Amino acid sequence: MPETILSIRNLTKTYDNGITAVDGVSFDVDRGEFLAIIGLSGSGKSTLLRCINRLHKPTAGSIEFDGVDVVGLAPSEVRSLRTQIAMIFQHFNLIERHTVMSNVLMGRLGHTSTLASLFNKFAAHDRQQAMDCLELVGIADKAHVRADQLSGGQKQRVAIARALMQQPRVLLADEPVASLDPATCHSVMEYLRKVNREMGITVLCNLHFLSLVRQYADKVIAMKSGEIVYYGPPDAIDDDWFARIYGEQARQVEVQ
Amino acid sequence: MNRNAGKRIFFDAIVFGYLLVTAIIVCSRAAEPESLVYLRAGLFVLCCVAGAIAAMILRARGIQTVGGVLFERPQISDSTVPATWYKTFWGGSLIFLFLVTFVIGWAVTDMDLYELVDEHGLKGAGRLFAGLASPQFDILPTTILAAIETVFIAFMATVIAVPVAFFLSFLCAKNIMGGSTPGFVSYGTLRTVLNVIRSVEALIWAIIASVWVGIGPFAGMLALMIHSVAALAKQYSELVECVDEGPIEAIQATGATAVQTVRFAVIPQIVLPYISFTIYRWDINVRMATIIGLVGGGGIGEILIQYKGQAMWHEVGCIIVVIAVVVWLMDTASAYIREAIK
Repeated sequence: MPETILSIRNLTKTYDNGITAVDGVSFDVDRGEFLAIIGLSGSGKSTLLRCINRLHKPTAGSIEFDGVDVVGLAPSEVRSLRTQIAMIFQHFNLIERHTVMSNVLMGRLGHTSTLASLFNKFAAHDRQQAMDCLELVGIADKAHVRADQLSGGQKQRVAIARALMQQPRVLLADEPVASLDPATCHSVMEYLRKVNREMGITVLCNLHFLSLVRQYADKVIAMKSGEIVYYGPPDAIDDDWFARIYGEQARQVEVQ
Repeated sequence: MNRNAGKRIFFDAIVFGYLLVTAIIVCSRAAEPESLVYLRAGLFVLCCVAGAIAAMILRARGIQTVGGVLFERPQISDSTVPATWYKTFWGGSLIFLFLVTFVIGWAVTDMDLYELVDEHGLKGAGRLFAGLASPQFDILPTTILAAIETVFIAFMATVIAVPVAFFLSFLCAKNIMGGSTPGFVSYGTLRTVLNVIRSVEALIWAIIASVWVGIGPFAGMLALMIHSVAALAKQYSELVECVDEGPIEAIQATGATAVQTVRFAVIPQIVLPYISFTIYRWDINVRMATIIGLVGGGGIGEILIQYKGQAMWHEVGCIIVVIAVVVWLMDTASAYIREAIK
């Protein structure tokens, strides 16, 4: 019986402008699972991920991480939560003017005192660990290159290394391959699979391409207008389901 | 009636009042005794009231006026092709408004083409230009010393202004301060104060400073420094406001504190544009410092005004050459550095 690491109940997020991005969503994530979240742009996938690490504050509902509800946490508790839940982004969000090494070290900020980090001082074992993480994503030779010199795929691998520096238990990936070409895309997905299988880190990944989902995910959630319309194994998404997730929405857009 | 409709009618009333009162004055060709000023002011108010009535009638009839275009979004209907702008009522009145204002402007600025070719005046100008064209380089050493003083005035003003402006820039950046009510109030207050300081020209600050600390380079430095703080704080804060949110999100997601987020996600994004703006400000300050001496701020402007007062145009010519060289040098150097650090 697999253990539940995230338990989300009736999660709702309404923005200040009145738009409800996530509307009463409930699901469980097992430890070590690779969960893909699919759906059109604006279906609430990104908001859902950002609620889990509290980059957004949920309006209602609960998110239990290891038995603790994260919705009501105080700011300092939110920071310690975030050290356990790493995140990577569509646009990589590296600090372009810093070196690869420096970017990876930033994964330790949550464990480094503010004063020490102001002077860019990181522990020696952190530096060693940073090299190990870069080794893991096959980019150790670029450690002292500035981040803006890298290609998109390399940047995303640095971002994965930065995430691994946190020694997280969960990795949130917000459309990690949406700005990469198809070849690079698979390389990044392979590293995410490696992180998931070999290190046992639970991965929640927003994706656009169904082919990637079928290849890499254990389970799929499909979202539409902030609600879950499908939950189950990726193979069960046939043409009929595809039309239901993507097609009807397209027609609805035309009506508006 | 909504707020925009109020604005529209107020604006149109002023426009019509302005046109009416101009028409009346031009037609009556009244004499110019002082007492007429009040009469005209009264007349203007009356005309504005008439204008307001006209504006309301036009609005009720659905005719688009200049005020309507500015303050009320024009109704876009799919059925009719919109007329070319100058054929519409508002377009025509805009052209008419411009022509009337140009004619009045001609009269107000005492434009007189005859003065340009007046024989006596031409001779004077010719003498002056001849003096400027053959500079007297005997005073070059003094001039260069004064030019060096000018560059230092600008340098000190910039160097002292930078840390102050750097600190203030975070306090008047909307994305940093906008989160809470007290933050927003202090943001608004600081913005307003800086806008007021900035809207007073450095030349005026020099007049104030020369009374405050006495005539000399210190007054000039003080004036430029005050103006630079306000100008730099605004430019810096705009840089802070348009940083990319992505890296901020990424650093927050690692569990970093607010200070760490500023250190690692905000500062790396703004440091080069900060330097660029600072060098540009120094460049501007050198240019300002050359004229700030005219009102007692020391530097090369001070000797310029002395020689000008004695109508020694050959010496003035020499000073102008030096100013041109200094400004050109600073301009080139600053452009080069700013290009290099992009």
